[in-house]
Amino acid sequence: MSFSLKDLERRARRQSAERRFRAYGIIALGVAAAMLLTLFFTIFTTGISAFWRYETAIEFTLDAKTLKIDPTASYSEDEYRSAVRKAPYSKVIKNAVYGLFPDVKKRKQKIRLAKMVSYGAESLLRDTLMSGDAKVGDKIKLWVPLSDDLDTFLKGNIDASLPEKKRRVKDIEMSWLETLESEGSIRQVFDWGFFVRADSREPEIAGLGGAIKGSFYLLLVTFMLSVPIGVMAAIYLEEFARKNKFTDFIEININNLAAVPSIIFGLLGLAMFLNFLGFPRSAPLVGGMVLSLMTLPTVIIASRNAIAAVPPTLREAAIGLGASPMQTVLHHVLPVAMPGIITGTILGLARALGETAPLIMIGMVAFIASVPDSIVDPSTALPVQIYLWVDSPERAFVAKSNAAIMVMLAFLLVMNGTAAYLRYRAENR
Amino acid sequence: MTTAKFSVNELTVYYAIKMGMQNVSMDINDRQITALIGASGCGKSTFLRCLNRMNDLIDVARVSRCTWDSPSESYVPTSHASGAVLMDGEDIYAASVDAVELRQRVGMVFQKPNPFPKSIYDNVAYGPRIHGLANSSEELDHIVEDSLTKAGLWKEVNDRLKQPGTSLSGGQQQRLCIARAISAGPEVLLMDEPCSALDPIATGIIEELMVELKKDYTIVIVTHSMSQARRVSDRTAFFHLGELVEMNDTSVLFENPSNDQTKGFISGRFG
Repeated sequence: MSFSLKDLERRARRQSAERRFRAYGIIALGVAAAMLLTLFFTIFTTGISAFWRYETAIEFTLDAKTLKIDPTASYSEDEYRSAVRKAPYSKVIKNAVYGLFPDVKKRKQKIRLAKMVSYGAESLLRDTLMSGDAKVGDKIKLWVPLSDDLDTFLKGNIDASLPEKKRRVKDIEMSWLETLESEGSIRQVFDWGFFVRADSREPEIAGLGGAIKGSFYLLLVTFMLSVPIGVMAAIYLEEFARKNKFTDFIEININNLAAVPSIIFGLLGLAMFLNFLGFPRSAPLVGGMVLSLMTLPTVIIASRNAIAAVPPTLREAAIGLGASPMQTVLHHVLPVAMPGIITGTILGLARALGETAPLIMIGMVAFIASVPDSIVDPSTALPVQIYLWVDSPERAFVAKSNAAIMVMLAFLLVMNGTAAYLRYRAENR
Repeated sequence: MTTAKFSVNELTVYYAIKMGMQNVSMDINDRQITALIGASGCGKSTFLRCLNRMNDLIDVARVSRCTWDSPSESYVPTSHASGAVLMDGEDIYAASVDAVELRQRVGMVFQKPNPFPKSIYDNVAYGPRIHGLANSSEELDHIVEDSLTKAGLWKEVNDRLKQPGTSLSGGQQQRLCIARAISAGPEVLLMDEPCSALDPIATGIIEELMVELKKDYTIVIVTHSMSQARRVSDRTAFFHLGELVEMNDTSVLFENPSNDQTKGFISGRFG
C-alpha cells in the first residue's frame, strides 16, 4: 500500500483534529469538576464548624430569693411548675458569671460579661429544675453554650489582629476566655441539637430541626400527591386515550407547564389554596400541594416516556394471552417502565426539595421558632432556612447557613441514592 | 368428517383510509392446520388478527400519527371492519362477546419470540393465573409442566424454571411462547410467521410440534415459506392485494392450482 503526500497530510490533520476534540472534552470535564470542587470546598470549610459548639462550665446558685420561689410555701404541683417556668433565670446566670470575675466593676464590661453565656442557658437551667435533677437552693455546675460571638471567635472566624474597635470580641472578653481555658472550663462538643432545635434569633441556639422536618413533610405531601396523579395520568394518556386534537392539546400544555417558572405556581397556590380555599398559611400541606403542581409535569412526562419505551410486543403478548388492558398495564407495562418512572419522580422531587420561590408566596418564609408536629403546622423548609440565615446579620449565621447547605446536599444524596437502589432493584427483578 | 371452527363471511377491514383486506370468506377447519400465504402486505396478518380481535387494539390507541396530506384525515381514528366471523357458529364481533374472553380461547404466537421478562415458570403460569385455571400451586405446577411438555420444552428447562425466559435461545423462546399460549387453555392457536426469526433446525422442531399440536388445537399459521406451508398444513389460502385468491387442500393448491396468480406465486415467478 502506498500513500501520496496528500493522503499523509490529510491523515495527520484528521488525527490532530481527533486529538483536539478529545482535549476539549477533557477540558470541559476538568472545568466542571473544578467548579464543583471549589463549591464543595468553600461550603465544607465554612460550614463544618457549625456542627460543633463551645461550652463553658459554670456553677449556678439556684437560691430561692433570686428565683422568687419560696421554699417554705406549700405549692400545688401545677403552681410549682408554673413558678419554675416563670422564674427569672437570667438573674441566676448574671450572678454566676459576675461571680467568676469579681474584679469586673465597670458597667459596660459587666454588660459584656453578662452576655458571655448564651441565652439558651436559661432554658437549660429551667429544664434541670423541671426534671428534678436539681432543687431550689442547690448549687449546680453546668456546661452551657457560649454566646455566638465568643463561639465564632474560638472557632477562629474572628481575626484577633484587627484593632479592638473593629472587632466584635473585645480584649477583655479574650482575657476572660483565656482564664476560663486555663481553668479547663471550656470545651468543644458536637452539637447534636443542631439537627433537632428550631430556628432562633440567637445563632448559637438556632437549629435546623424545624426546617428538616418541614422539608420532610413537604416532600411527603408532594410525593403522595404527584406520584399517584402523575403516573395515573401518564398511563391513561399513553395506554388508553385516543390520539386526537384534545389529547394533543393536553400534551402541549403539560410540556409547557414543565417550563413555567416556579414562582408562578406559588402565586397560584396563594390565590387558590390560601385566599380562596382558606388553607393554613405557612403549612407544609399547602407547600406540598404547590410543589406537586410544579412536579406533576415532570413526573407525567418522565412516566409517559418510560411507558412509551416499553416494547409493544410485550403488550401484544399479554393481550394475546387474554389479559385485560388493566392487567396488561399493571403486570407487564408498569414493571418494565418502573425504573424510568422512579428516575423521573426523584428528579422532580429533588427539584421540589431545592425550591424556594413558591414557598415564599405561601408564607413559608416566616420566622418560625418551633418544630412542626404535623403537615398543617407552620413550618419552614431547608432552602428557605438557608435563605433566612444568609440574610441574617450575625457573623455566626454564615457558618450555620453553610452547614444547612451541607445538610440539604446530604438530603439530596440520600434521595438520589434511594432512587439508584430502587432502580437497580426494579431492573434486576 | 371435519367441522368448521371458523366461518368467515365477506370480511373487510380498513385502516382509516387504507384498506387492509376485502371480501374474504373462508371456512377454517377444526383440528387442522390452515396456512395463509401471500406477499407482504397482502392482508394475511390482518386476517389472522381478526380471528382473535387483536385488530381491536388499533381502536384503543397507539396508532402513530399518520402522514396523509388531507387535513381532515390527519388522524387515524379507527380500523373499520365489516362482514362476520363466526366461531363455532357464534359471531365473535357481536356486542355480547368479550374480546378478552375470546383471546383466552384463541391464543396467539407472534413473529418475534416475545417472552415476558420474568422466569420461565412465571411466563407459562401467567395465563392460568389471570384466568383462574388453577386452584392450588400443585395444580398450577401441573399445568406448567403439561404446557411445557406439549411445547417440547420440558426436558430442556425442567431444572431451571426460575431462570428468566429471555435467557433461552431463540427457538426455545418461541416454544416457550407456544407453551405460554397453550397454558391459557385455548381451542385455537394463531401463529403469525412463528419461524421467521429462527434457524432451520429450530424451525424443524416447531413444525414437528405444530403437527403434534393439531390433535388438540385448531391452528392457523401465516407463513412466507411455501415449503413450510406445504410440509405442515392441511389447507392453504393464498392472499393477494387484500383479497383471498384461492383456498384449497394444501396438496391440491400446490400440485394443481386453479388460479394463474396462485400458480405464479407458488412457482416463484412473482411475490
